[in-house]
Amino acid sequence: MPRARIIRDMKARATVASTEVVRQAFRYLTHNTTLPAKVRAQAQLQLNAFPRDARPTAIHNRCLETGRGRGVLRAFRLCRFQFRLKALEGELPGVKKSTW
Amino acid sequence: MSTTQATSKLALINKISTAIFGNVYNPQGIRTGNKILRQRLVGPTINSYYPNVKQIKLREITKMVPEMNLIDQGEKTRLEDLAERKKRGKGPPKKGQGRRSTLKKK
Repeated sequence: MPRARIIRDMKARATVASTEVVRQAFRYLTHNTTLPAKVRAQAQLQLNAFPRDARPTAIHNRCLETGRGRGVLRAFRLCRFQFRLKALEGELPGVKKSTW
Repeated sequence: MSTTQATSKLALINKISTAIFGNVYNPQGIRTGNKILRQRLVGPTINSYYPNVKQIKLREITKMVPEMNLIDQGEKTRLEDLAERKKRGKGPPKKGQGRRSTLKKK
């Protein structure tokens, strides 16, 4: 079972994906200055009515192993320590220890 | 040719060129929100960050194949503990014998 923070992030990602198209439509209305002010204000209210997880900024890349939210290498989706452990174990193809 | 004439000519050229190349003629640079429509949808990328691995629970296996007679060890110990507690008189109180109902009677 994944960590609670990961589950929370999964939920946020699902919400973002499902509400994205409608949100973008409302965002278009609010950003369009040629539309009447009332329409734009209503679109802003609609945007505020979305759940908190609907914003793409609510999601955060987390470590797949530990759920750590900081120091996560995007290419491997692992935090720096798990990356080191796995790399030394040889579980990451193409990753090699080197010094210079 | 004066400067004003030159600028008006440039504006005209701009207008014609937008019509030819299918662009939007927007000399004042008014915000039409088109940049929102131009953005690509990030939902599929965002949603595929975590690998989609479904955890199979023991309960599902026993439900599918009851002939296997698999024992849920956690559930077994829980029931044993409950029976032990009941033997010591620490089981759940009967209806109307709990703390709340006795308080109300007083």
